[in-house]
Amino acid sequence: MAGSHLPPAELTTSGRPVLFPHEIECFLLSNVDLESEDSQQLNFSIRLRSGLLILTTHRLILLPPDPVPPGSKGAWVPLAAISHIFSSKKSLKSMFHSPRLSFQLSVGTDGCIDTGGSVRGSRSAVMTLVIRGKADVDAFVGKFWENWRARAWEKNSEETGSSGSAGSSLGSGSGSGGFDSTGMRVVGVAGILRREQEIWESTDKSLQEAFQDLNALMGKAKEMVMLAEKMRQKLLSGSSQAGGGNDEEMGSKEEMQDWLLSVGIISPVTKESAGALYHQQLSRQLADFVKIPLERSGGVINLIDVYCLFNRARGTELISPEDLLQACSLWDKFDIPVMLRKFDSGVMVIQSKSHRDEEVFARIKTLVTRPNALRMGISASDAAITLGIAPAMAKEHLLTAESRGLLCRDVSPNGFRFYINLFPEISVDALYIVGSHGIYATWINTISTSGLG
Amino acid sequence: MRRRPGIAGLQGAAAARNDIRKNPAFRSQFHEMCAKVGVDPLASNKGFWAELLGIGDFYYELGVQIVEICLGTRPHNGGLINLQELCTLLRHKRKTSREAVSEDDCLRAISKLKVLGSGFEVISVGKKKLVRSVPTELNKDHNEIIELAQGQGYVTVDEVERRLSWTSGRAIDTLETLLDEGFAMIDDGHRDGKRRYWFPCVSSISSTVVTDA
Repeated sequence: MAGSHLPPAELTTSGRPVLFPHEIECFLLSNVDLESEDSQQLNFSIRLRSGLLILTTHRLILLPPDPVPPGSKGAWVPLAAISHIFSSKKSLKSMFHSPRLSFQLSVGTDGCIDTGGSVRGSRSAVMTLVIRGKADVDAFVGKFWENWRARAWEKNSEETGSSGSAGSSLGSGSGSGGFDSTGMRVVGVAGILRREQEIWESTDKSLQEAFQDLNALMGKAKEMVMLAEKMRQKLLSGSSQAGGGNDEEMGSKEEMQDWLLSVGIISPVTKESAGALYHQQLSRQLADFVKIPLERSGGVINLIDVYCLFNRARGTELISPEDLLQACSLWDKFDIPVMLRKFDSGVMVIQSKSHRDEEVFARIKTLVTRPNALRMGISASDAAITLGIAPAMAKEHLLTAESRGLLCRDVSPNGFRFYINLFPEISVDALYIVGSHGIYATWINTISTSGLG
Repeated sequence: MRRRPGIAGLQGAAAARNDIRKNPAFRSQFHEMCAKVGVDPLASNKGFWAELLGIGDFYYELGVQIVEICLGTRPHNGGLINLQELCTLLRHKRKTSREAVSEDDCLRAISKLKVLGSGFEVISVGKKKLVRSVPTELNKDHNEIIELAQGQGYVTVDEVERRLSWTSGRAIDTLETLLDEGFAMIDDGHRDGKRRYWFPCVSSISSTVVTDA
């Protein structure tokens, strides 16, 4: 039916939803059904099964389950079009079924939802989310209500998630709408006075009280950690079983890892498991993000630079270095055109798969067999210019080429330079014989014509 | 207040959040307690601690700023910077923020950066702590010379031979390596004709090196 559909969600090539400006993801649920209750007046009927549900500040996005077929689209519901969220009734019966959450959508007479985001539609339809995956449903519901009430789509301002992110909105008052996340004015005289009072109050508060609160937190944390350890053991022993696990096992493993992550225990990515859902999503997000910086830096970029670039772009809700590492190490589970690579020196880079070693070595070889280079060798900066990458990266490539036997190094007062490795062409039994077609011959010619021979 | 299994509705958390951001001493204690319990609050920003107490962003942002400062000062010091100098530059960079940053905070942020390769590490040389941001390893000989340089900010070959009882060859080799890597600079301008090797990483805070926020 033409009218009875939800607006399609645009996806990137990695299967990630394309977000609106200022839109931020808040929650992920796997294995969710979305159903509409048939309304007699409208031809409005939706049934989406076993999808991935993403709650953002602006909408509910439903994606088809992994693996995402290329070219497929998800669907979305603007939070703005929701006129009411029903409280879930807890009953004995509901304990045995998957949790359900219903909300009321405002729909126009043509059966379409106003994507502009308002409750202008004259009719309403009731939609239900059936959460089949294991998840912290209470937390999701809480966040759902919070986002719906927050009406982020009405403010053309950035989410002020943390009060101290490089002083972005405080003090300048530009574009932040003047409110922080608790709805208090933060600009103007009122804002300044309030801030001063806050500081005074906080330093006045006795440190002992604070430690008491923390102790209470720690007590609970200990319980959680013991439980988490048991879970972790289960995960580790489970992954050593032959069989690889069916989908349901994987689903619960992911949820377990998400939970472990929230306690502060990162479980390593094993061959069988794909890590926490959070890291999987992050992994795709990163693959998208890193495309442009990679192009700019010639196909190779230092991991630590990506950390800075990505977090700077994010602004708030930053990722930890370990998050980054986990996300990158998941790439070889998906078909992604970038990869993580570690050099012998310990330096880690992200490199596009088209930037392969063989190709790089071919280019280095061309560079290093030119007459100039045969005489004087090449330095890391020379290679950097030719390859179009940063000098530090070029140095790593030259060192790798050396370890493969392609180059020889020469450390002299002129610095650190590399030459083509001629030794393979020189036979120990026939030291003075020069093959007429080898590079050795070319080298001799070049050297003698320059008068250095 | 989000509800989580086992940690439902803790009122104290909101207060703790405020204190953690404003008080470096409190932060330090918090980390010690976490270590005892066996959790790493900074492992992931998805973590409970990061979300509840908001400290994830604080440390990861700090990490970004530290990387920027190290990159900015690398032409000057080769990738080795005094921890004190780093903290001063950091505070200068963050002067619009109301949150105090302690050396302990820096150390924690740097320890997290370590996993990204690229050689981020804090090393102790003599009385000072140095932050390394390049993969070049420093061996014992290098460390001894840098420690010696803490006295006046520079060393001469004679001094190294005399004070450390090294051969001339060993002294020169080590100094030349440090020079090649960019950790030392030479100064031949003195009347006595002796070459001085200066080490920016141990010099007192230089006001001429300014990295813009």
